[in-house]
Amino acid sequence: MGEYLQFVSIDTWTMIFTLINFLVLFLLLKKFLFKPINNVLEKRADEIENTYKTVEKTKIEAEDLKTEYEERLKSAKEEADGIIKSAVINAQRRSDDIVNEASEKAQYIVEKSQKQIELDKKNAVNEAQSDIASLAVDIAEKIIGKKLDSKEDEQLVSDIIDRI
Amino acid sequence: MNGPKIIFTIPLFGGIKVTESIVNMWIIMVVMVIVSIWLTRGLKVRNPSKKQLFIEKLVTMLYDMVRDVMGERYMFFAPYIGTLFLLSILGSLSSLLTLRPYTADLSVILTWTVMTFLIIQINNIKNHGVLGWLKSFTEPVAFITPLNIISEIANPISMTFRHFGNIAAGLVITSLVYGGLASLSGALLSWVPNEFLSSIPILQIGLPAILSIYFDLFTSFLQAYIICMLTMVFVQGSGE
Amino acid sequence: MEKAIVLAASAIGAGLAMIAGVGPGIGQGFAAGKAAEAVGRQPEAKGAITSTMLFGCAVAESTGIYGLVVALILLFANPLIGML
Repeated sequence: MGEYLQFVSIDTWTMIFTLINFLVLFLLLKKFLFKPINNVLEKRADEIENTYKTVEKTKIEAEDLKTEYEERLKSAKEEADGIIKSAVINAQRRSDDIVNEASEKAQYIVEKSQKQIELDKKNAVNEAQSDIASLAVDIAEKIIGKKLDSKEDEQLVSDIIDRI
Repeated sequence: MNGPKIIFTIPLFGGIKVTESIVNMWIIMVVMVIVSIWLTRGLKVRNPSKKQLFIEKLVTMLYDMVRDVMGERYMFFAPYIGTLFLLSILGSLSSLLTLRPYTADLSVILTWTVMTFLIIQINNIKNHGVLGWLKSFTEPVAFITPLNIISEIANPISMTFRHFGNIAAGLVITSLVYGGLASLSGALLSWVPNEFLSSIPILQIGLPAILSIYFDLFTSFLQAYIICMLTMVFVQGSGE
Repeated sequence: MEKAIVLAASAIGAGLAMIAGVGPGIGQGFAAGKAAEAVGRQPEAKGAITSTMLFGCAVAESTGIYGLVVALILLFANPLIGML
């Protein structure tokens, strides 16, 4: 008690103790401070790296999917366009056909009716002619008072009518 | 002004004197190990606690410093530097707890610098081989060899004296101021009849704190920083 | 008598040794002035300048510290008394 070393002195035992203390503390701090912290820092760096990698991968995948979908969409559009176009063409053709058919039919009907009309007209004329002829024969009979031989007379009358 | 007190003597090899410096160092070491165990308990990779962020920040600062000064290939050196820094700064700061700072003991600092010196030489030999190491003393001319050896040995000595001198000067000046303030307050209180009251050194309260800021906080930090910096620079330089 | 002379001379020697403190004082003042100049010119590099200055100052302090150590040895661990 009460014993002191000198203020400026070099003590061998102090040096040896200091050396041992330093080495012990170095090992203890390495074990309890630097290693755990280092582990955590490394793990965190790894995790961040992994996250980045995953994100990049996902991004590439998403981009691939996007281009794929775009391509698909484009082809679908083209297909739809084609379908619409062909449908339009079909419809056009069909409508043309219908119109043609209709007009042909109409033409036919018109022609037919015209023919009918003509026929009717002819018939009417013929009928009228024969009526007129018989009428004329009748009139002539009455006038002459004698029944004419119908066939010759009729011929005669017809000729007359024709001449008129 | 006394040196470190001899606390006890181990009766071996003719008496191993265990001084105040060593005992204080043990106290600091125990505190340091307990604190570091506490700080590194329950470390998490995600969502670190504030405690963890703090210790991580400190360790990262140390790593960044080592990386900046020494480069990536000396990263294994960081724990050594960290241990040296913590021992130095906490030793100097222990004067705040009225312990005698063991950094004001020449033997302690000399041990550290001799260790650094040996590391420098070993690193030199490792990088250049024994012949290259020996040859490095004869550069640039052969007859300058003694000067080279002296300058090599002067490095640890100057480091030792720098650290020791700063802290010891702080210790001397602080104790001078305390002594002066004690006698001054004794003179001021001489009119008080009560013996006990007049012996209270009232001027010692608060005033030395201003000195303490420089001599304890600033110098402690600066010297710890300097000794680590010089160690790193010398070790890095020896490997070039 | 001899011891008293040695002690007195040691005390004077310690005082004289502390004259070494002048050099680092001037040098550090110069360094601090230059650092202030540098900060004025480049305020964004304040941190780097300050740490560099402190480092340089601490290294430049060596000579002063040698003087201090000599003074401390003369005062507290006088080797000369043992030679008597």
